[in-house]
Amino acid sequence: MRRNKVKTMIAKLALAAAVISGGLQAASAETANIWVRADGSNFMPRIVDAFNKAHKDQIKLDIIPNAEIIPKYGAAAAGGTAPDALSLDLIYTPSFAAAGQLEDITDWAKSLPYFASLSPAHVKTGTYKDRIYGLPFSADASVLIWNKKLFKQAGLDPEKGPTNWAEIEADAEKVNALGGDIKGFYFSGNCGGCNIFTFTPLIWASGGDILSEDGSKATLDSPQLRGAIDLYRSMVKKGLVPEGAQTDTGSNFFAAFAAGNIGISPSGAFAIGALNTQYPNVDYGITFLPGKDGGWSSFAGGDNFVVTKGTKKIEVVKEFLDFAYSLEGQTILAKYGSLPVRNDIAKEALKDLDPRYQVAAEAMAKGKTPYSVVFNDLINSANGPWTQMINEVFFGDDVDGAIKNAQDTMQSIIDQAPNK
Amino acid sequence: MAEAMSQNRKAAFSFARHSTGIIASVLFLAPIVWTVLSTFKPAQEARQPPLPPWPTTGFSIENYETLNSFGDGLWASAQNSIYVSVMTVLLSVLVSVLAGYGFSRFRFPFRDFFFILILSTIMIPFQSILTPIFLVLTKLGLHNTLTGLVCVYVTLQLPFSIFMMRNAFDAVPREIEEAARMDGANNVTMLLRVMLPLVWPGVVTIALFAFLGAWNEFLAALVLMTDQSKFTLPVMMTALQSGRFGAIDWGAVQAGVTVMMVPCLILFLALQRFYIRGLMAGAVK
Amino acid sequence: MASIAIAPARARARTSLRQWVGLLYVLPAVALVTVFFVIPLGMTAWMSLHNWPLMGEHSFIGLDNYVAILRDTRFWNALKFTFYYTVVVTIAIFAVAFPLAIFIERPRPLTNLYRTAFFMPAVVGFASASLLWSWLLNVDSGLFSPAAYDLGLTEKKINLLATFQPAFWSIIAMVVWKVAGFTMIILMTGLQSIPQDLQEAAVIDGAGPFARFRMITLPLMRRTLALALILSVAGSILAFDQFYIILRGGPRNQTLTAVYWIFNQSFVSFKLGYGAALSMVLLVILVALSLIQLWLLRKPAGLDD
Repeated sequence: MRRNKVKTMIAKLALAAAVISGGLQAASAETANIWVRADGSNFMPRIVDAFNKAHKDQIKLDIIPNAEIIPKYGAAAAGGTAPDALSLDLIYTPSFAAAGQLEDITDWAKSLPYFASLSPAHVKTGTYKDRIYGLPFSADASVLIWNKKLFKQAGLDPEKGPTNWAEIEADAEKVNALGGDIKGFYFSGNCGGCNIFTFTPLIWASGGDILSEDGSKATLDSPQLRGAIDLYRSMVKKGLVPEGAQTDTGSNFFAAFAAGNIGISPSGAFAIGALNTQYPNVDYGITFLPGKDGGWSSFAGGDNFVVTKGTKKIEVVKEFLDFAYSLEGQTILAKYGSLPVRNDIAKEALKDLDPRYQVAAEAMAKGKTPYSVVFNDLINSANGPWTQMINEVFFGDDVDGAIKNAQDTMQSIIDQAPNK
Repeated sequence: MAEAMSQNRKAAFSFARHSTGIIASVLFLAPIVWTVLSTFKPAQEARQPPLPPWPTTGFSIENYETLNSFGDGLWASAQNSIYVSVMTVLLSVLVSVLAGYGFSRFRFPFRDFFFILILSTIMIPFQSILTPIFLVLTKLGLHNTLTGLVCVYVTLQLPFSIFMMRNAFDAVPREIEEAARMDGANNVTMLLRVMLPLVWPGVVTIALFAFLGAWNEFLAALVLMTDQSKFTLPVMMTALQSGRFGAIDWGAVQAGVTVMMVPCLILFLALQRFYIRGLMAGAVK
Repeated sequence: MASIAIAPARARARTSLRQWVGLLYVLPAVALVTVFFVIPLGMTAWMSLHNWPLMGEHSFIGLDNYVAILRDTRFWNALKFTFYYTVVVTIAIFAVAFPLAIFIERPRPLTNLYRTAFFMPAVVGFASASLLWSWLLNVDSGLFSPAAYDLGLTEKKINLLATFQPAFWSIIAMVVWKVAGFTMIILMTGLQSIPQDLQEAAVIDGAGPFARFRMITLPLMRRTLALALILSVAGSILAFDQFYIILRGGPRNQTLTAVYWIFNQSFVSFKLGYGAALSMVLLVILVALSLIQLWLLRKPAGLDD
C-alpha cells in the first residue's frame, strides 16, 4: 500500500508540474484535449493537423476504441481527467446531457450564421430539454449497395438498383440463382446497431416508426414493421441469406459484401470510402433504402461534438469547431470518410469526390435519427430487447411474441430511465 | 491351460484398457492439436474448414504475422500478459511467504481473525464486487493500469497461497529454527536462509497457480482495462474474435489461442507434480 | 510478593513484543485484502442502496433497487438459466470425470501418461478454450458443421450457434472437455484414500463390483464428492467467459447467466447501483450454498477419516 501512496504522490507532483507549465503557456496559446471514437480515426487527425497548422491555439487528439469511449469518459470524468470536448456518437448525446456532463452551448450555437443549415438529425439529438448540448461533427448515412458485376451475370440491369421491397427480393433471388458461394442478400442478423442503421429506414420510408418522436414510447406494433420483417423473413426462408448471418454480431456487416459474393446489402456511406480504397475490384452501385412501395429514408448517423461541463478551454474548442464548419474543414472531412454536416455547402465540399457520395449526402440531409436517453440499452446493447427481437423475428418462429416481448421490455426500460 | 486362459484374459483386459485410454486421450488432446496445427496454414487456407488440420498448401507463419498487425499488436498484448503474470507471481509469492511465516510462527493479537478473514474471501466471488474494485482503482489512480490489475490478481491468489504457505511453514520442525537462532540468526535471515529452502516446493506450487490464474483471467481484465494498449491476451483476442478489427480472421484467432495456451501447457508439463500437489492439498483439506 | 508478580509480566511483555513482529509479516496481505476485498464488499452493500450512474451525481434511494430486481424478469430468467446450466453441466462433468478417475486410480503402465492427457485442457484458460471452441463451432470456417456436411450427415452446413439446443449443448461439451480432468484428479484423491483391504474383504464376502461401489466407494468418498460437487457448482453459477465469448448471451439472450447480467447492467448500461444490488442477491445465494457446503463437508458422525 505504501508503494501506492508514493505513486499517487508522484503522480500528483507530475500533475502539478504539468498544470504550472500549462499555465505559463496559457498566456500565449492554449491546448485543448479532444477525444474521438475509433470510427473517426481517418478524418479526425487530418482536420486536427490542419487546424494546428493554421492556429496558435492547439488541439491534442486522443483516439479511443468505439466500445470504450463511454466507460473511459465516465471513469475520466469521475477522476477529473475528462477531455475538454469529444466527438461522440450522436445517439449518446441525450444520455450524456441527461447525466449533467455537458456544457450548455445553446447561445453560441444559435449565433452561428449557418446554424439553420446544420444537419437537423444531429441538432435534434444534441438537444435535451430545449437546450443544445451537441452540434454535428461527422456524418454517415445508411444506403443500399449492390454488386454490379453479379447483377450483370444474373441478367439484371447493373446500373439500376432496387427501388422498392419487391424489387429487392426479386433482384436478390436472381443473383442468388447464380449458385455456389454467391448469395442474394446480406445483413448482420444478430447486431442491433447495424439494423437500427439499415433496417429501420425501410420502416420509416413506409411511414412507420419504432419510437415516438420524443423517445417516450416504444411503437413496435405497427404494420410497417411487420411488413419489413416479412421481407427479411421471406429472403431468409428462400435461402438468399448466408447461414452465418444469423449469428453475425456485426463483424461481417461490411466484410460480407466486400468479399464480392453478395448481390445486395444495406450499408452506410462509409462503405464508399472503404470499398474504393480497400477493395477497388468490387464494382458497386449506391441507392437509397426504399419503402415498401417506393419512397426512401435513411438513418442519419455520425458524431456530435460535445463540450465537457466546466472546461476552461471552451474558447479553443469553439475556434476548432468554427474551423471544422468552414468550407476547408468540411472538404477535409468529406475527403477522409465523413459526409459534410453543413447542408448549404455540402455539394461544394463533395464536388471533387466519387459522385456516389452525392447520393449519401442527400440521404443524410433527409435522414432521421431516433431520440432516446437510453439508446444503448434499447438498441445497441448486444443483449438489449431490439437485438433480441430482430434475431427472433428474422429467423425464429414466434414473430408476434417476439414483437410483444420487445415492446414491453423497451417500454419498461424507457419508464425506468432516471432522467427522462 | 488355466494359466493360458488367465494370460489371455489379462491381455484382453490390457488391450481394452489401452484402447479406452488412447481414444479418451485423443478426444481430450484433439482440439488443442487441431488448433496448433491449423495455425501454420497460409491465411487463405486458414479461412477454410480445417479438414485436414495440417497445412496442405505449404507451411506458413502468416497467421502469427497478421496477428501482430491488429490493434497494438499481438506482441504488445503478450507483453502486457507477461508483465501482469510475472508481477502477480512475484508479488503473491512475496506477500504469501511473509504472511505464511507470520501466521505460522508468531502469536499476535487478532492472528486468527486475520487468517480467517483472508481465507473467507474465497467464499465470496470477486465477480460480484468488480464495480467497487473499479471505483477503488479509480480513486487510487490505478484504473486502467496494469499495476492495478496486478493488485487485484494478487488479492485473488492470497487465500489459496497463504493457506498453502502456512501449512508449509507449519511442517518445518521448530528445532531447526531454534538451532539457527542459537547461531544468531535474526528473523529475516532465518526466513531467507533457513526456512525458504525447506518450503521451496510450496513456493513453486503457489507461483504456478498465480501464473496460470493471472495469465488466463478474463472478466476483471475485460472490465478494468479500457485502453487497447493495455489489453491482456484474452481481452485482445476476444476483441479480435468479435470482429472489432473488421471481418474475423480465424487464422489469426487460432494463432492467438495457441500463443495463450502454449505457455500454460509447457509450465504444466514441466511442473506437473507441483500442480497436482496443490490440487490435492486443496482437496484433502 | 509484588516484585515477584512483576517479573513474569515483564517477560510476557517482552515475548509478546517479539510476537507483535508477526503482525508486520502479515500486514501486506491484510492490507491487500482490505483494500481490494473488504472495502469493495462494503461498498457493494452501500452502493446497492443508491442510484449510482457512471456519470453524474449518485443519490440514496433506499431499497428501490431491490424492488426493481423483483420486477426484473430478465434477471430472473438469467438466474433460472444459470441454475439449469449448473445442474446439467455438473451431471455431465461427473458422468465423464468419475469413470476417468477410476480408470487412472491405480498405478499401471502408462497411467501417468493418460492422466496427463486428460488433464491438459484443464490448464488452458476458460477464455482460450472459449476462443478455440468458437472457431471449432463456426459455421463457415469451423470444424464440426463443415465436417458433418462433408461426411454427408447434414444437407447443408448447420449454424450450431444459431438456435438454443445445439448452442447450449456445444457449451456443455466444451466445459466438460475443459473441466473433467480437474474433477477427475479430485475424485482420484478420494478413491486413493479408500483402504485397499476394505475392498479386498468385500470381494472375499462375495460382493460384486456394483455392490462394492455402492456400499464402500460412495460412502467413503462422501467428502471428496461433496468437494468436487461444490467446486463444480460454485464455478458454474459464476459462469461468464464461455457464454460471453462464444455466444454473446445468445441466441436471443437465452444463455445470459447471472454474472453476465450483472456485468451487463454495471458495465454496459452503467447502472452501478443496480448492478451492486444484483451482486448482493447473487452473494446471498452463494453464501447460502457455502453453508450447505459446510454441512455436506462436516465430519460424518462415527466415521473418523
